[in-house]
Amino acid sequence: MSLLRVDSVDKSYGDEPVLHDVSFGMDRQQVEVVVGPSGSGKSTLLRCVNRLTEIDNGEIYLDDEEIHAVDENDLRRRVGMVFQDFNLFAHLTARGNITLGLREVLDLSKAEADAKADDYLDRVGLADQAESYPAELSGGQQQRVGIARALAMDPELILFDEPTSALDPELIGEVLTVMEDLAEEGMTMLCVTHEMGFARSAADTITFLDDGEIVERGAPEQLFENPEHERTGTFLGELTGLHQ
Amino acid sequence: MEPAVLQATDWGFILANWDTLALGGVVTVLLTATSLTLGFALGFPSGAIEVYGEGWLADIVSTAGVLLRGTPIVVLIVLFFFALPIPRLGTVPVVDMKLNAFVTATLALGLRSAAYQSQVFRGSIQSIGEGQLEAARSVGMTKLQAIQHVVFPQAVRRSLPGFQNEFTIVLKDTSVAFAIGLAELLTRAERLYLQPGRDTVVIEVIITISAIYFVLTFTTNRALDYVHSQYAIPGGNQ
Repeated sequence: MSLLRVDSVDKSYGDEPVLHDVSFGMDRQQVEVVVGPSGSGKSTLLRCVNRLTEIDNGEIYLDDEEIHAVDENDLRRRVGMVFQDFNLFAHLTARGNITLGLREVLDLSKAEADAKADDYLDRVGLADQAESYPAELSGGQQQRVGIARALAMDPELILFDEPTSALDPELIGEVLTVMEDLAEEGMTMLCVTHEMGFARSAADTITFLDDGEIVERGAPEQLFENPEHERTGTFLGELTGLHQ
Repeated sequence: MEPAVLQATDWGFILANWDTLALGGVVTVLLTATSLTLGFALGFPSGAIEVYGEGWLADIVSTAGVLLRGTPIVVLIVLFFFALPIPRLGTVPVVDMKLNAFVTATLALGLRSAAYQSQVFRGSIQSIGEGQLEAARSVGMTKLQAIQHVVFPQAVRRSLPGFQNEFTIVLKDTSVAFAIGLAELLTRAERLYLQPGRDTVVIEVIITISAIYFVLTFTTNRALDYVHSQYAIPGGNQ
């Protein structure tokens, strides 16, 4: 049984079509990497899954429930999201960023929420930064807090929207390490990223999206070594060249 | 020929009447407090409605704001005094002021301040990036929770400088209550030098009340500066 099933999804912004007839499924503990040129609809696809953006046509199922039939807040509690620009709450410490959702959404007591937050900060290697504010952290540290914030809600699936694109090159590694650890531990992850090293090592499946349509989808070896479509090969080749 | 000299000053007159001016200062402070409180109570939600609201409520709020900001404060206060059915409420002891004039002045200054404060808050709410709201919604918070716990705490911090400005303006504009005879600082000052034979002390009286207005604005602004620095977000540039 798929954890996530996207079925014939269409989405346009006004007259601008963004996604067309997109369908795919993900099992639990699977890591899916979505790649594609800028403007291909990758981020929109992610945002449709937690309903930050609403689709025009089609269906999306989480755990066999159509996501538009469940409460959107409940859906978002079950589907975590990590943003390109981190989007940490600027007025709260690293710990506060994590406890806010735990307290307001999961109704944990302050002591429970603090303990859980510290636990997740430790998992992303930031136990010593619990009291730091976002502006006092490096980009890589901020993104790790962002991941801890998503993880602490015990989601069934986490969406990563270009989590390393806003980072200086020397800070990308620490974030990818955390993501690789998560993949290893069996977290279900749907990632939009240009990090081909991560895609090769951690992804079970890579989806190549272009112009709002899935061009090709398959195991990393297949897409890197024997792509069915020339477009896929060209694009992945360019990315790999760029990111060595 | 002797050069023209200024009249001899008469600070003794000020000392002899310090209690009259002090009570005027008290009324001024009270009126500032009630007006700013009313202005905040209406202005903060109005700013939020202008950002997040839609339909008739947002229309009413924004139209009321335009009207209030577009009317001179003296016109408002006189209009309210004669047009609103505020009953005669008698006189407040000790500070010796007419309560209906005080209520009228609070309404006029408070509503106008709400119209300005709403723009201060609207600007600061809009300056909080959309990503903050999306991040809050993405952990499952409702829109209201997200606004309350993520947007407002940051917006209020950013609105402090604008609010300080508004505070200074309201404090000094309490002097327009003079137009309806409320016994605040300027009104009492005028009563002092309009007494027969007292036209010689106009300068002393005016300088004294200017100093009182200055001390009030200066100390309160310093206090608000302190609050601002205490609540500043570490590492941030606000």
